Amino acid sequence: MTTIAEFMTAKHGACDDEFAVAEENALDGNWGKTETAFNAFHNGMAQHFKIEEDVLFPALASAGGPSGPVQVMLMEHTQIRGLLDEMAAAVTEKNEQEYSGLSETLLIVMQQHNHKEENILYPIMDQILSKEREALFVRMQAI
Amino acid sequence: MKMTSLSTDQAPPIGVPLRFFAVAPIFIVLAALLLAVGGGNPFADMHSPALLAATHCITLGFMAMVMLGAIQQLLPVVIGSPMPASRLVAWFTFLPLMAGTLLLSGGFMLGKPELLNLAWPLLGLAFLVFIGASLLSLARATAQNATKTAILFSVLSLIMAATLGMLLARGYATGAPLPYAKLATAHISMALGGWVLLLAIGVSYQVIPMFQLTPNYPRWLTASLVPALFTVLLLNLALLLPESVPGWAKYAAEILFWLLAGCFAAVTLRLQNQRRRRVPDVSLSFFQLGMASLLFAALLSLAAMLWPAAHNYLRALSILVFLLGFGLSIVQGMLYKVIPFLVWFHLFRGGVKAVKVGVPNMKEIIPEPWMWRHLWLHGATLLAVLLASWWDAAAWVAIPGLLLQGALLSYGVFTGISVYRRTLKRIEQAEA
Repeated sequence: MTTIAEFMTAKHGACDDEFAVAEENALDGNWGKTETAFNAFHNGMAQHFKIEEDVLFPALASAGGPSGPVQVMLMEHTQIRGLLDEMAAAVTEKNEQEYSGLSETLLIVMQQHNHKEENILYPIMDQILSKEREALFVRMQAI
Repeated sequence: MKMTSLSTDQAPPIGVPLRFFAVAPIFIVLAALLLAVGGGNPFADMHSPALLAATHCITLGFMAMVMLGAIQQLLPVVIGSPMPASRLVAWFTFLPLMAGTLLLSGGFMLGKPELLNLAWPLLGLAFLVFIGASLLSLARATAQNATKTAILFSVLSLIMAATLGMLLARGYATGAPLPYAKLATAHISMALGGWVLLLAIGVSYQVIPMFQLTPNYPRWLTASLVPALFTVLLLNLALLLPESVPGWAKYAAEILFWLLAGCFAAVTLRLQNQRRRRVPDVSLSFFQLGMASLLFAALLSLAAMLWPAAHNYLRALSILVFLLGFGLSIVQGMLYKVIPFLVWFHLFRGGVKAVKVGVPNMKEIIPEPWMWRHLWLHGATLLAVLLASWWDAAAWVAIPGLLLQGALLSYGVFTGISVYRRTLKRIEQAEA
């Protein structure tokens, strides 16, 4: 059976793909394709955050899981959302230089964040939430 | 399970890594100046005092300086365990490393034993503090991954490289009868093949898939490469001990080392070729140049074994290519990624006020065109160094090339620091 770690890690990978396509097109000045890929990426990230913030984090908290790491993850979500908003503005303005700098910054922030989730937080969730995993998957897939 | 790595307070203050990064490029400039005043073509004689002094400016003053600073930043993130007493450890590695390197290079250059006698205890202190603190941090870490193993073996190699180095420096100073050639071989092999290569491998396991969006390194490689390389290095050391060893045994052990190192370079280049992020990235290009150089260094060493007449010449070239092509490329490439990120990260911690004032993005911290110029300059310098061993005129391209590289990197680091200071001031004023 799929673990939370596997399910969520696959979502990170899918977001990375859209991220790379959007960035490549922005640097080529191909704004139509950039907009499509960026929107897919932006929506993917929003959906991913929603799964974590509405389903996984509360479930971890009510199962008595550690709250410190979740606080850090939430703070990083805010950071990432800020960068995504700025990137959306750069797409609207068709500002290649601004997009490329923000994209570079987001990549590092996002990859560090994903790394911590994939290697620490998700495995903790798989441990603590093993009994209710199936019910959680139903809710996660509904988002 | 320990969750320490998720705390943002684990990262040391920005001043800890930046002080190492700010001083390091000055040693590249110093190395170039030593080569310039050494007289003649310093690359023609691998034992020339100027080349020995300059080499240590680069290995200790630049590479070790950056690596020590970076590891203090890296350990909390990668293995979830910070260095104990980070400020104290930073000062007690930074100051003696800087002073020790200056004295050692001065001692080599001027042939003054008293300088060498001052240098080796200081360098010993710097490495002792660093090694102690990193072993403690590794022992406390609960995370188990290939990077942790690589850092551990790299630090173990550093213990041997530093001990042998101190022994050699003290020997040169006192004129003690020591098997210098064998000790120097062992010192170089543990310093470059052990400490530098194993650390580079461990860092690559994390950094390349994460930031260049490549597939992960294959499991067979991450599980076995570093322990295999370390074993082969020990085997090479053991073969230095007896009076006479059959030639084939030495060759076999050395071939094995270069095959393993070459395998790492080839796999890395292949992964980079499969990257999903296709945009130009100067750090990536520095890394690719580094990996291609590692392959070339392996070929030169293998050629040296096949061609006894040119053995010493090819081996010396192999070491130069490893040091300047592999080591210098990846360390510089890494700095160009790490410094903008650290500046952004620490400014962003200013919270709401920082967002209101506007934190510069990573490409607004060090101007990108200068990084690309640096890459081209580095490639040209490397080519000139290769030619300089038999064509004197090329030395006069290599030396200014090195000097300019140090200057460019200094400019980059100080630009980063001044952007940090300026923005921080604006954030503080907004708070007032």
